[in-house]
Amino acid sequence: MATDPGLERIQRWMQACILKQGTHEEAITSEAAQQTIPAAEARQLVLPSQTLTSAERLDIYRDMYLLRMEEALAIDYPGLKHFLGDDEFLRLVARYVDVHPSRTYTLNRLGDDLPGFIGTLDDCPKKEFSQDLARLEYALTMVFDAAETKPLTEAAVRAVPQEAWETARLKPIEAFRLLAFDYPVSAYLGGVDGENEFPRLGRKRTWVVAYRRNYQCRRMDLTQPAFELLLALADGEALGEAIESALVRKRRPAVKEEQLFDWFRDWMAAGLFQAVELAAPPPAGAGPLGVPDSAPSAGERS
Amino acid sequence: MANRWGYPDLGFGIGLRSVHFEHILNHHPAIDWFEVLSENYMDTGGRPLYVLDQVAERYPVVLHGVSLSVGSTDPINFEYLKKLKALGRRIKAHWISDHLCWTGVVGLNTHDLLPMPYTDEVLRHTIGRVKTIQEFLERPIALENASTYLEFSASTWPESEFLATVAAEADCGILLDVNNVYVSSFNHGFDPKQYIDRIPRDRVVQMHLAGHTHKGTHILDTHSDYVIDTVWQLYRHAHRRLGGVATLLEWDANIPSFDVVHGEALKARRFREQEDARPAVEGVPAYGD
Repeated sequence: MATDPGLERIQRWMQACILKQGTHEEAITSEAAQQTIPAAEARQLVLPSQTLTSAERLDIYRDMYLLRMEEALAIDYPGLKHFLGDDEFLRLVARYVDVHPSRTYTLNRLGDDLPGFIGTLDDCPKKEFSQDLARLEYALTMVFDAAETKPLTEAAVRAVPQEAWETARLKPIEAFRLLAFDYPVSAYLGGVDGENEFPRLGRKRTWVVAYRRNYQCRRMDLTQPAFELLLALADGEALGEAIESALVRKRRPAVKEEQLFDWFRDWMAAGLFQAVELAAPPPAGAGPLGVPDSAPSAGERS
Repeated sequence: MANRWGYPDLGFGIGLRSVHFEHILNHHPAIDWFEVLSENYMDTGGRPLYVLDQVAERYPVVLHGVSLSVGSTDPINFEYLKKLKALGRRIKAHWISDHLCWTGVVGLNTHDLLPMPYTDEVLRHTIGRVKTIQEFLERPIALENASTYLEFSASTWPESEFLATVAAEADCGILLDVNNVYVSSFNHGFDPKQYIDRIPRDRVVQMHLAGHTHKGTHILDTHSDYVIDTVWQLYRHAHRRLGGVATLLEWDANIPSFDVVHGEALKARRFREQEDARPAVEGVPAYGD
């Protein structure tokens, strides 16, 4: 028997059935589905084929939904999937998309709330490790998609007058994320990618900068003082001030000057900064060193 | 150029996929054109866009989307359209296509190409939306027939006539997916040749070919394999009806090497040449008729 409740009701009903996990009966009798079309009427909506019942036909869409969500999240969270295993990861995805269904035209941002969501779960295996790992992988997706900014050149660095460094600010590239963890999740991801041995999974404070160089996402392990210095610089602190606080920290051995040089050499080689912003106005017509003239003027904080 | 806009027959292309980026950048393969999945490049400043810019400099490209949701009852997403328009201009896309379907309502996206009931109400709704979209984009779009797995009892139109009417009334193009015609014909029990015969040739700007997965009781459009012989025969039929139309091979799961995918696309050229060399058959309408 033909039934035509109208396009809007049909779409709301079909979507409610697709998003509802469980059996077909649970889907069409769910509150969301029945609010639009009562189950008795809904049973008349879809025609059977020669080989499938109307319920089986609708279930093709229902089954594919979760698989598609899992496929998308597995691309962004390969380490987490490896850590949890296929079944546990699928279980996590099912619970996640139930609370955080996609609201945008792209699947690329489907997993943005996953790290936070893991934090709300009571029964996620090794929850804190999983959450740290998810935070790292989420940061890598942001780094992957960030706008491309050219890294600071050696020439631009050499052009900064010696006396200007004290108050200069280093502006990080767009594809740059600083992260502190309670577990060695970057090393774990390295293990998944075959870059290193898997670490022991016990609690261990670690610090990482995730960044992009030549369009490749990379990670660099940091010591705590290096992380704090980089964080201060990324927050717009002047170089002299940031170094001062990094050099002298209570209850911690002072950072040696050679260490500082090593850090900056590594960071420059990695291309972590896009510009030196000078506190004093540069000569007329010049923009911040290392960025085009159309960029914010010298002295402006990023 | 059989279509009303004079869009060129670009030849035989494949979808631009990240697993082939290195090969394309390093070897600059001799391929006629690429189809680009719009949503994968709209919100990134990373490698995909960097590669796309280089590809677009060297090859003709077209944009193909999966989230236009032309049949949805949600408001049209103009932010999405703005980005789509900008991307189309950036890469000088020959045309923009999406599907005759809906993907979500009440602000959600299932990321599936969901079927619509083919009724007069839905026809009017779809025509109106296509007109608005085209006005905003300042160019005609092409709508693809999606593979579907269910039919609504409310439908009063065959899909082929529904699609042809939307195209005529909204003045848009058609992307005829030959594999989808076959998949849906199996799932719903209609004659795939008759479907193709109902498609107006002056609206067709592009054809799709792909492999699928036969589950016994139904076929899934998985783009995970070689094109089957029956679909090649349908393609020959479509070519006879529609003439030289830009043809694209889709391969999206278990993607083999670039050369394998490209080789599959080039089979289409052989089928076209064979068909062109064949004498006209009485009673079979051909594009030259």
